[in-house]
Amino acid sequence: MKTSKIISLLLAAVLLLSLAACGSKAAEPQAAPADSVPAAAPAENPAPAAPEAPAAPETPAAPKILKLAESFAYASLDAHKDWNGWYTSIYGLTETLFKVGNDLSVQPLLAEKAETGEDGRTWTITLNPKAAFSNGKALTAEMVVRNLQRIGEVNDRFPEVKDYVIAAVDEHTLTITTPEIYPTLLTDKLTNAAFGIMDLDSEDLDNAPVCTGPFKIKSFEPEGTVEVEKNAGYWNGDVRLDGVIFYYMNDDESKLMAMQSGEIDGYSSVTAAAKEIYSADPSSYVLTVIPATRLQFYVLNENRLSANIRKAVNLTVDNDYIASYLGGTVSPAVGPFGASAPYGQVTKPAVDVSAAKAAIEADGYALNADGYYEKDGKVLTVNISYYFARSLDTIALLMQEQFKAVGIKAELNGVEDADSTYRASGDYDIALYCMIADQAGDPYYCINALFRQNSQWALGGFKSDECEALIDELSSETDVNRRAELANRIVQMVIDDNAFGFVGLFNKTTVAVPGVVNIGENSPFDFYGVSADTDMK
Amino acid sequence: MGKYIAKRMLHLVGILIALSFLTFLLMYLAPGDAATKKLNAQGIAVSEEVLEKVRADMGLDRPFLAQYGDWALKVLRGDLGESYKDGMSVSGKIRKALGYTVQLALGSMLICLLISLPLAILTAIKKDSLADHVIRFFSFIANSLPNFLISVLLMYWLCVKARLLPVVADRSFKGLLLPSLALSIPMIGRFLRQFRAEILEQIGQSYVSGAVSRGVKSRYILFRNILHNASITILTVVGLQIGTLFGGSVVIETIFRWPGLGKLAMDAITNRDYPVIQGFVLFTAVVYVLVNLLTDIAYHWIDPRVRPE
Repeated sequence: MKTSKIISLLLAAVLLLSLAACGSKAAEPQAAPADSVPAAAPAENPAPAAPEAPAAPETPAAPKILKLAESFAYASLDAHKDWNGWYTSIYGLTETLFKVGNDLSVQPLLAEKAETGEDGRTWTITLNPKAAFSNGKALTAEMVVRNLQRIGEVNDRFPEVKDYVIAAVDEHTLTITTPEIYPTLLTDKLTNAAFGIMDLDSEDLDNAPVCTGPFKIKSFEPEGTVEVEKNAGYWNGDVRLDGVIFYYMNDDESKLMAMQSGEIDGYSSVTAAAKEIYSADPSSYVLTVIPATRLQFYVLNENRLSANIRKAVNLTVDNDYIASYLGGTVSPAVGPFGASAPYGQVTKPAVDVSAAKAAIEADGYALNADGYYEKDGKVLTVNISYYFARSLDTIALLMQEQFKAVGIKAELNGVEDADSTYRASGDYDIALYCMIADQAGDPYYCINALFRQNSQWALGGFKSDECEALIDELSSETDVNRRAELANRIVQMVIDDNAFGFVGLFNKTTVAVPGVVNIGENSPFDFYGVSADTDMK
Repeated sequence: MGKYIAKRMLHLVGILIALSFLTFLLMYLAPGDAATKKLNAQGIAVSEEVLEKVRADMGLDRPFLAQYGDWALKVLRGDLGESYKDGMSVSGKIRKALGYTVQLALGSMLICLLISLPLAILTAIKKDSLADHVIRFFSFIANSLPNFLISVLLMYWLCVKARLLPVVADRSFKGLLLPSLALSIPMIGRFLRQFRAEILEQIGQSYVSGAVSRGVKSRYILFRNILHNASITILTVVGLQIGTLFGGSVVIETIFRWPGLGKLAMDAITNRDYPVIQGFVLFTAVVYVLVNLLTDIAYHWIDPRVRPE
């Protein structure tokens, strides 16, 4: 009986509490704003460029702390493991020996120069003698050697580094000897964010690595918020900000509302819907849209589709319409690389429905009463395989619509994981996919991954001995101009063969409040973020 | 009672074996693997040779039963393994996420009970009145709205428009308010209707009319008799919901950056992080069974006539 009394009392207490809560509800809205106002800049304010209010006479100037949102967060700051290096680079903690400029050129950073020997296998790297870690320790060739060797040990993506002979020559010089001629060592490895340099003698590489970047770690919440502070002794110039807070927010609506409430100052990967909202209020938000390197493309299965049908498909798919439908999040592509790159100089025929129809008819097809082409009683049907990411599902639908207008029936096959389904089996007519085509200012990675006869996409049936020979040449060519020329020839061959269709290159869309500059908005790569030049005015 | 608990614990072992086997099998059959997800995470593909090597290192190239057997043996030794994604211990990840999930579960349950119970009593007592109709109408709406919509609407009104709460919530009490509220709103709608129905049933019982005719004060009848007798149903509903809440809420946790179990499980599924998925499934199964067991024991505690079967 006692227990039932207790239960009754508990229920009564809950009831009373709730009544009390209801009673005080009306008072809440008045009380709370006082607490929240100072933190938030009004979204409707036409000139929110002054997030810090003018300081009172006795108050010192407020520190310049930038607040950004990031869509990914990792459990460790050890740049060498997994993909952590992308984020330590974005956070302004780690730097690589070389960097890729906004114009896709390789530029010196921790290293001053790199030279190849006569054999083409040995690279001599000269470090910048000024380069130093945030703890004041000078960067030495010996430390760089240890870093590179460690990357081969701990990062599954670069097991080949273990086969390199890496040695310090003197305090600021080291050599890297690769088993084969490796002209893309700089773009594949030494600019790669996973090759960020850390002081390996620092105590806690997972949570507080000591690095050379313009910022150093202040607080780190694994898979959560990361706070960095100014590296006052930064070796490469003055750091303008006092600190940056990176909030892990992977929900697009939350990021939009955090911008609107003034709680964050900017972020990248703005969605089409959010972009529209920001565009409508240019006094409060600054949008930067640049073509980036993530490519949407499709493979035409040459084992199933004749040359004429492939040609018809490529003459039908309207990239401009698709880009416009996707709200400016992508730019129409001609080839796999941006048109501004020297290795992006290729052409393809314009959309031409009549020519597409003529190509289909050349294969003996005739239009039936339903408006589809038919041969021997069989409707011309293609299977479009895609996965649900990177707008590929939308593209598949748009392609289906465009094919219908020409007289090709398209059946859609959406899967969750392309790598283990159609990409592995080759069971498709048209396979949509999305990948980063240009890792760091060189075309070889993409060409090797897509067009090689033994590549993962070889199941699409594209084979050309001439193309293979050109790819072989590209793999060892060291002259940049010749590399671009080779790349253009290879891609043009693929386009002319209608082996692939290149739909769009994702734009990098960044939003920031007015006055915030240099948060990586002008780099086509996702792994660059804040720098010493990042500022908020 | 001791025998009953022992029997339920024995059932739990069977449930865990069946559930873990089934989950492991489903993951094994599902397309995609952890190696591909890990290496190609940012849209840069690695060569097939590298993938094969990493698959072998992870043991993913071994037969299903060998993989399951290894995992089960480790679990028997109390080791849930390491995450494929980042190498962190699965039990550590679950422990950390559980802390946040418990906060969210308790916060939302508290809000839910504080609102639904009094309203249920009010609507039951004032049955068919205007207040009853209005409250029930809103309870229907609350129950019908999807979590993401509630979250976005709350965020818009309370954070962007009224500036009462932050969008970028930290892990403080203030940060807990909004996700708790968002999670509790559909529960309020559901609980209110269930509680109201139970209270109405109790009000219709002859012991209530008998007490009224004897002149017993209505407040006494309500708290001493009606709520007491309705408490078994209330406890059942709350117990089942607690079990669900302890499994985490993916949508709420993602929108509000709350690193609980739902987010952990969702990330693990996306990354085919089998050890974390298995650990999560085991954990939620244990929680579900234990919460149900506790609820059954509580029935007996509230009303000794109810004997656990």
